[in-house]
Amino acid sequence: MNISDPYEPEIGTVPEETAGSDEVQSAKTGTTSIGVTTAETVVIATDRRASLGGRVVSNKNVTKVEQVHDRAALTMVGSVGGAQSFIRSIRSEAKLYEARRGKPMSIDALGTVASNFLRGGPFFMINPVLGGVDETGSHVYSIDPMGGLSEDDYVVTGSGMQFALGVLEQEYEDDLTHEDGIEIATRAVESATERDTASGNGVTIAEVTEDGVDIHSHEDIDDVLESA
Amino acid sequence: MQGQQQQAYDRGITIFSPDGRLYQVEYAREAVKRGTPSVGVRTEEGVVLAVDKRSRSQLMEADSIEKLHKVADHVGIASAGHVADARRLIDFARRRAQLEELRYEEPVDTEVLTKAVTDNIQQYTQMGGVRPFGAALLIGGVSNGEPRLFETDPSGTPNEWKAVAIGADRSEIQDYLEEHWGPDLTLEAGIELALGALATTRDEALEAEELAMGAVEAETAIYSRLGESEINAHLEEVDLEEDEE
Repeated sequence: MNISDPYEPEIGTVPEETAGSDEVQSAKTGTTSIGVTTAETVVIATDRRASLGGRVVSNKNVTKVEQVHDRAALTMVGSVGGAQSFIRSIRSEAKLYEARRGKPMSIDALGTVASNFLRGGPFFMINPVLGGVDETGSHVYSIDPMGGLSEDDYVVTGSGMQFALGVLEQEYEDDLTHEDGIEIATRAVESATERDTASGNGVTIAEVTEDGVDIHSHEDIDDVLESA
Repeated sequence: MQGQQQQAYDRGITIFSPDGRLYQVEYAREAVKRGTPSVGVRTEEGVVLAVDKRSRSQLMEADSIEKLHKVADHVGIASAGHVADARRLIDFARRRAQLEELRYEEPVDTEVLTKAVTDNIQQYTQMGGVRPFGAALLIGGVSNGEPRLFETDPSGTPNEWKAVAIGADRSEIQDYLEEHWGPDLTLEAGIELALGALATTRDEALEAEELAMGAVEAETAIYSRLGESEINAHLEEVDLEEDEE
């Protein structure tokens, strides 16, 4: 059992170090990815565009946030292939932990696992947001490509970061309602979509509550803002 | 001389005796019979697992007796025999289930998982310097909406069942299951059949705290444990039926 090495997944291995070279033209998400804590929940919002080499929109219908745990979701930022395999590994670790111990991993522990995997060897260049709810409350983290794990009330990663942060700086307040959380996260994605060339094509929202994770996508951002 | 030769097939690694038997595997089956029984019942609405976990002392924490294990979202396993040996197999199954999800992003099929576990058990009947697992497992899961129930034994043979018992008093409990199982059972009826089966070998009434039960519903494909109050409610139903008979 390789449980003794926390820098590698217990099941599977990390990719070879040479594999993530920038010379390969692989799909990148560019992306605006946002995590916001509210009084009792977490709202994660991303755009839906994938691009190649910063010039071509290679996909207009990408779901860049996935459930990784009963009450947590992770965004894809950076290399799409790296992010997808990273998500599968994190999800397996969380399920194994839960099956073995009969209780879900805390969000802090989940963040540590994610951070250790990135630190242990490049899972390609990714820069995700992790958000989840556990008995200690709602948590969001940004995770940098070298494994740096930073918790905050709201976090943003991806190429649209500055535009989205501008909105959140103005709008975020403590103890937001869940609906207000959805609204400000969506408006932050909207701003980034307007000004960042690598972000666009609508919004995906992941609502993380005590009941679980609900992920839905909208081609038209106004659909979300009107109902919020 | 004959006696000494006989003994040679009886010790150390598993090798065939002249009449084609593997004594170590047979002894391992005996070890399974020394454990308290576990029962599995398959119904159209899901699979039920029930284990008897009586302890020798009231001072032992009942929760520390592990005979019923969650393996994946859609699979549970009940064990009988050596708990320590069973734990190794359970962890093998948990890892195998996640490996399958990593590789295919699909929940592992109950039959595929069972055969992976039995292939692992089989290796311990053929290699040098090892002994067979002294545990049998009941693997209950739902794959493609279909409830499945498999048994593994120390030889590594996988068998699929509609309803089955492992552990002590297996044949008596199996007789009860054969008499009462039918293809139209609801999940509730399956739970009560499993309880009735476990009750057959007990002189005193079953107590919820001496039992553990789990079920995988066909509709949701989610494994869940039954709480003590749920088990008690079902026990009352079982008692009523018996009074009527």
